[in-house]
Amino acid sequence: MVNVTKGILVECDPAMKQFLLHLDDTEAFGRKFVIQDLGENCLFISSDILETLQDKIDDIMDRLSFPLAEK
Amino acid sequence: MATTRKLDCKNLHGYLKTLPWHVLDKLYSHPATCLAVFRQLPDLSKHYVMRMLFIEQHVSQSVVNLWVNSKYQDEQKQAVTALTDLRVWHEETMTGGLQGWKMNQTFRKNMKIALLGGGNPWTSGGEQLAPDKHSKDIPFLDKYALERWECVLHFMVGSTEGTEGVSRDIIDVLLHAGLMKSDSLEPLPSITPEGFQFLLMETGSQVWYFVLQYLETVEQRGMDLIECLSFLFQLSFSTLGKDYSTEGMTENQLKFLQHLREFGLVYQRKRKSNRYYPTLLAINLASGLSGLSSDSQRSGYLVVETNYRVYAYTDSPLQVALLALFCEMLYRFPTMSIGNLTRTSIRDALARGITAEQMVNFLRSHVHPMMLKNNPVIPPAITDQIRLWELERNRFKFTDGVLYSQFLSQTDFELLRDYAKDLGVCVWDSPEKRVMVVTRFGHDDVKKFWKRNKPSNS
Repeated sequence: MVNVTKGILVECDPAMKQFLLHLDDTEAFGRKFVIQDLGENCLFISSDILETLQDKIDDIMDRLSFPLAEK
Repeated sequence: MATTRKLDCKNLHGYLKTLPWHVLDKLYSHPATCLAVFRQLPDLSKHYVMRMLFIEQHVSQSVVNLWVNSKYQDEQKQAVTALTDLRVWHEETMTGGLQGWKMNQTFRKNMKIALLGGGNPWTSGGEQLAPDKHSKDIPFLDKYALERWECVLHFMVGSTEGTEGVSRDIIDVLLHAGLMKSDSLEPLPSITPEGFQFLLMETGSQVWYFVLQYLETVEQRGMDLIECLSFLFQLSFSTLGKDYSTEGMTENQLKFLQHLREFGLVYQRKRKSNRYYPTLLAINLASGLSGLSSDSQRSGYLVVETNYRVYAYTDSPLQVALLALFCEMLYRFPTMSIGNLTRTSIRDALARGITAEQMVNFLRSHVHPMMLKNNPVIPPAITDQIRLWELERNRFKFTDGVLYSQFLSQTDFELLRDYAKDLGVCVWDSPEKRVMVVTRFGHDDVKKFWKRNKPSNS
């Protein structure tokens, strides 16, 4: 028996992968979206979350950084 | 991220090639055009034209081929294509079945006039003008042309200084060229990634690109492309600092002249004035992309320090506005401005579709001569950081795909994986977990293969 699931393969660095898993755990987008954890650099996620993810990820990452420049 | 198309800046030859042949034929009915085209031809093509100009019959192709040593066949081919592309000559079968070249009759006639004289005077309005009471000298014209042109650039970067002179026509051309796009929410159009590339070009190329785009819109305005083009060519043969009369110009040409006046290609004291002065921008136009002298004296005003601070030694609001596209400006002095490259300012620029490479190039090509002593010119910390900020935005790679999991045996998995790999549709696989991802496109094939080769027990 082989299981077939449609979705999106995400390749990224380990830090970003952990971040995505965190978003999944805390249901930051209101629901779970990771289908399977494939390895260090890869995740398989459901395709309907892609748009939200691309919209939000920049904002969320922005909140994690702080300006370094001095005036 | 918005995809950025590279601005393709054609030269005169490249532009004329795109015109349909009947337009070209009509263009050649003016000696100025013929001479301008002739000047742009490759050397060997010029030679061919000179040889054939006074021969009123076909010349067989094999004879033309013999004019060139067999070692230089590549140049020969280029020369022949250049002439064919521009319809200076065309192929015709000669009596006896040989293929021959026949020179375009209109071109021949007007080229002869250009060389030997005769015909009507090139610049319209034959009679001499009385000396101008408000005559203008060359430095004035240069300054005027640059001012006008900078108005257009100012308008593009969205600074408010001196943009009141930008008319609807200029905005239309910018929109048509895709250098700016209008947003229904905002009253004024905003700059596109292509527009940013445009701003970073040198003045000569900018004018040429702009005029090409303008010519594309000419026919929608109900004007005649041929009249406009031949007027442009006439302009390019006029003398800087001399005034010309508008008498004898057609309605369309007068309209065209008003547009050129807006771009700063000609100077006219008043709209109704019956004389105009061509500026350097117009005269350099037909020679295509030869740089303007004005660019050299303005180059180099930026000092970039490793602490992300940028000093701009300039009093031109335009140059400050250009820098402000990706730099947070802090202080403004009469001859110097200071800004910071911050993560926010760079990210804002990236979001607008300007790439890190373009920003780095801009910095590099405008550094102060003092900075040129450094190697590398821009501190690597800065260039790397700008690139890192860009990469930060693309940390994910998304691939639409189908996940195959829960294989019963390792052999089943390997069979299917190898098949998918052979097709080149396997994006990712892990033998330990017996999981693989196939692209959406390859899914059908892999599924069929699996059905056919399914192990009998399942």
